[in-house]
Amino acid sequence: MSRLDLDSKHEFDQNVQETRIPPAKMKLVKQEILHKTGEGFAIMKPEEPEDMWHAYNLIRPNDLLRASAVRKVITESAGSGSRSNERVHTTLTIRVTKLDFDPQAGQLHVSGRVAEENPIVKLGGYHTLDLELQRNFTLEKSEGWDSVAIATLKEACDNDAKAQLWAVIMKEGLANICLVTDHQTILRQKIEYSLPRKRAGSTDHEKSMQKFFHTTYDSLLRHIDLANPKPLLLASPAFTAGQFQQYIKAQAAISTDKRVKDLLPKITVAQSASGHLHSLNEVLSSPAVTNKLSDTKFARETQLVDKFFELMRHEDNRAWYGPRESEKAVEQGAVGKGGGVLLISNGLFRSQDVGVRDRWVRCVDSVREQGGEVRVLSSMHESGRRLESLGGVAVILTYPMEDLDELGEGEVEEEQPESEDEHEHGANGHSHGVEGRRDHEEDIDFL
Amino acid sequence: MQRVKNVDYDEDDLYDDDEEYGEESDDRDSEQNRSSFAELTPVVRAELEEAGVQASDKAIEDALWNSFWDVGKSVVFLKDRNAPRQTPKKQEKAKSKFDQAAERSAKETGGSSKLAKLAEERRKKAAATAAGGSSTDSELSSLDRLTKPKDSKENDAPSSVAEPRKYPIRKKREPTPPPKEPTPPPPTEPEEEKPDLRASPTAFARTLSTHPVQGRKVTAPALADLLGTEQSEDPFKGPSPDDTVLKAQQRSKGRSLSKQTEALKLDSQSTQATIRSKGLDVPKLWAEEKAKRKPAAAFVVIGHVDHGKSTLMGRLLLDAGAVSQRDVNKYQKQAAEMNKSSFALAWVMDTGDEERERGVTFDFAQHHFSTPKADFTILDAPGHRDFVPNMIGGASMADMAVLVVDANQLESGMKGQTKEHILLAKAVGLKKVVVAVNKLDAANPAWSQDLFEQVQADVRKLLLDSAFAEQDIKFVPCSGLGGANVVNAPKASSPAAWVSKAHFTLLQALERSIPPRIADQEVIRQPLRMQIVDVFRGGVTNPVSIAGRISSGSVQIGDIVTVRPSGEKATIRAIDVLDEAKDYAVAGQICSLHLSDIEAQHLRSGDLVCSLQHPVHGRRSVVLLIDVLEPLLPQPVDVHVGRLHVPATISQLVETVDGKGEQLKRRPRLLKAGQRARIKVSFEGSVPLVVGERVIVRTAGVTAAHGTVE
Repeated sequence: MSRLDLDSKHEFDQNVQETRIPPAKMKLVKQEILHKTGEGFAIMKPEEPEDMWHAYNLIRPNDLLRASAVRKVITESAGSGSRSNERVHTTLTIRVTKLDFDPQAGQLHVSGRVAEENPIVKLGGYHTLDLELQRNFTLEKSEGWDSVAIATLKEACDNDAKAQLWAVIMKEGLANICLVTDHQTILRQKIEYSLPRKRAGSTDHEKSMQKFFHTTYDSLLRHIDLANPKPLLLASPAFTAGQFQQYIKAQAAISTDKRVKDLLPKITVAQSASGHLHSLNEVLSSPAVTNKLSDTKFARETQLVDKFFELMRHEDNRAWYGPRESEKAVEQGAVGKGGGVLLISNGLFRSQDVGVRDRWVRCVDSVREQGGEVRVLSSMHESGRRLESLGGVAVILTYPMEDLDELGEGEVEEEQPESEDEHEHGANGHSHGVEGRRDHEEDIDFL
Repeated sequence: MQRVKNVDYDEDDLYDDDEEYGEESDDRDSEQNRSSFAELTPVVRAELEEAGVQASDKAIEDALWNSFWDVGKSVVFLKDRNAPRQTPKKQEKAKSKFDQAAERSAKETGGSSKLAKLAEERRKKAAATAAGGSSTDSELSSLDRLTKPKDSKENDAPSSVAEPRKYPIRKKREPTPPPKEPTPPPPTEPEEEKPDLRASPTAFARTLSTHPVQGRKVTAPALADLLGTEQSEDPFKGPSPDDTVLKAQQRSKGRSLSKQTEALKLDSQSTQATIRSKGLDVPKLWAEEKAKRKPAAAFVVIGHVDHGKSTLMGRLLLDAGAVSQRDVNKYQKQAAEMNKSSFALAWVMDTGDEERERGVTFDFAQHHFSTPKADFTILDAPGHRDFVPNMIGGASMADMAVLVVDANQLESGMKGQTKEHILLAKAVGLKKVVVAVNKLDAANPAWSQDLFEQVQADVRKLLLDSAFAEQDIKFVPCSGLGGANVVNAPKASSPAAWVSKAHFTLLQALERSIPPRIADQEVIRQPLRMQIVDVFRGGVTNPVSIAGRISSGSVQIGDIVTVRPSGEKATIRAIDVLDEAKDYAVAGQICSLHLSDIEAQHLRSGDLVCSLQHPVHGRRSVVLLIDVLEPLLPQPVDVHVGRLHVPATISQLVETVDGKGEQLKRRPRLLKAGQRARIKVSFEGSVPLVVGERVIVRTAGVTAAHGTVE
């Protein structure tokens, strides 16, 4: 039984990565995965909220998941007919039917039917497991571990490279406070402030601006861990970010909390085209920022997406997007050695439809065989979000190809329902990148 | 006896009062009441004569009326009043209006006002003679009120026109003013009647009492009543529901109340607190007043950063007399302290601290000025590329554009915002443009005619390329800093003498470029639409105010509007157009609306104010017909609709089309510059968009496309 060497250097991530603070990563407690068939199981221990995101990407419907559970048991004594409730801690194995990921809280709820005999729950009974930090869970793949799943597993348990930064994307009257990690951009708070316009003889605008900064500053301090400050990126069009930096400096000077002063050197100010969250993309890919914040996986991905967009703009026939076109290009071997890149959103691998996942796993495998680069972009990053709007997949070819989109009308029609499907998927808030952004907006208004 | 006579005089006065306002007599004149009077008056008179007191019929009737036909109480009251009242009366006369107001409020809360003390005094005296039981208190106080109007009547004397003006002012200091009751309505039960005295009339009552002539506009008053800020009620008449019914009956008999109505109308005009729609036929009024109006236009000042837009406008305002030299001198001094003396004129427009410090306009500034020929609103847009969203907001409010070009720095602008602003001006639908070729005094040589000609040729080409029509473009050589050819033509001796021979001054060019308001009436009759450009505090009396340009329809004081997407409703409390209070505003005007019944948190700049009957519904995704300026893919973009700036995603490239809108290619994979296409755009939230609305699509700080909503 030959096992996969999961400790080897990440083969897909070629860029040099700097080791930072010893990261608390998902721990692989034990794995028995057969190299040939992919059968087997892995025992993992999530140690921080982001691990839930990895788990979310790993666990698919029909998989067997074994984890500790709390179950309410109702016992009815035969004689008196009295009932008593009891919460019982047990370990359940379920066959997964549904996953629910809450990115804000970093929680993953997995529903399924109990698949293993248990004294408390009958076989086939429904249960929802809430995966918890610091508690092992065992995952066994029904279809076997495919290459993408193994890559995800490797990435999840990768002890290298752990970059995190806080970013405030703002403009006058709007601030998006978000946490950027390797795999996610989590919008923590959105502050909207209605600022009156400047008018002669009134200082309302300046006053409101100060209030707006104050609110943003307070919210920011609530979110960031001052004891262990991460880089803080302030970005806005024009001068707002600079003004805000000045404000933080002023606050740090009068603050009794010394730790705020420690935050100051971590601040980077950058220009963005707008104060909306999607501008984060261009900020993170700008050289000024990448230099300062050193490398992240995200930066490389953003660069590739940018390169792709650039090629598209120049109508270079080496850039194509869309499921059909990309697949066709891969089939013809155009995404191979010497610059071939397949950009694919991990949203496609989370598809409820097993067929869709298989199709893209095959595609990924074939690109790797041809020697091309595969980038699985997180749909929770802005670069991934850009990719999602292109249908979740794009390719940069090694040689120009023409008319990949010129197909029979019938085929176009065939594509129709799928894109509708995509749309529905989007409505769940998953394919549109920062998940849960709608539900967690906090609007603060001035009066 | 002199005193008694005095009292009698008062009585008459009171009587007159009743006649004038025709209310008391209304209910009393009912047949049943009249017979009661006939029956009881002699009885009372006999009793009074016994006690040696004289009283007019009218006084007796009043007393009876107010004591609810109780002979005993009436007698006590009349005796009482005739005997000890003179001293307090003088006091009352001397009272200031403030004291009266205080009394009233104290009375309202049952406090120990002076009048209440008086009543107490009287009650004690009356206790000896009174046949009435313990319940006299209330009746007496009720009767006391009968005497009150005399005070005010005497003070305010015969000028009935002046009264309504004074009362609302006083009332403003009391949050809940009870209508002062000269004569209480028919009390069925004195104790129960008291609250009735203070209750404000019902909507029905108001309608009847204030719009007897044109009895329409019922909805707006109903709302105004709910607000409780209605001030137009004359203090001398606070009809109870009973009164109103009787009055209505009376009216149906043909008796006219037009006199009161006139007074009330005056009243409501003089007080801003009144939020009652006058039910104006705005389109008609607008048409009628057309002859009286000067032409008006708002122009947006566009151009590349540092080409002198704000300075030129500062100069224009200074020379046109809209800003005093004193203010400019002050700015000059302050600017000199910051080593920025050349920015002094720009400070007229750039009022923000940060703007002045950096010498860059951030947000567009708004300023009004008038010439003998026209009214202008300046919208001074920022030229810096980061503030293009603000420029779009300003341009979408304008009727025409003034493009400022630095004659010496043409190149920087041609690649930068001169070009982008021209495109955007076209994209928001502006047609007329005046090109101010600025800083000619700084040219080498100064006022070089060749340079001007060259700049003119270049800019003209750019404008024509952007689909501006030749006849809509005017060129003006000028210098904002020096002031030559802005308002005043340059002197004949200066090197700029050639300018006045062939060119208008900037102001003249503006006056000649005012676009006619096309299809005025039609647009005005459409449902109200106004995009909020600013939410601000309009002052102490107007805590919530919004500003913007009405794009269609009209609005008048008292109208109820709805704000999208929040869906909240608000009442228009006041309207300012060109910094002047107006009763209404129409499409095309830039106005400030002072609102009530809404919290500022429901208002955001970019929101749409709509008429209640025809609101605009928010949409999560729309199809746009666009002219592409930069290559576009399905991608995240910024969508600008006037002041509204929302993130969006192009979810689908639907098709490319030709000039007529016929499909060229379905589902293109890329939109190239110069193409015309339909795209589907989805928003994060719902956005209120009207079909035909002009939309600008930007991405990564560059204008990528412009078009309209389909």
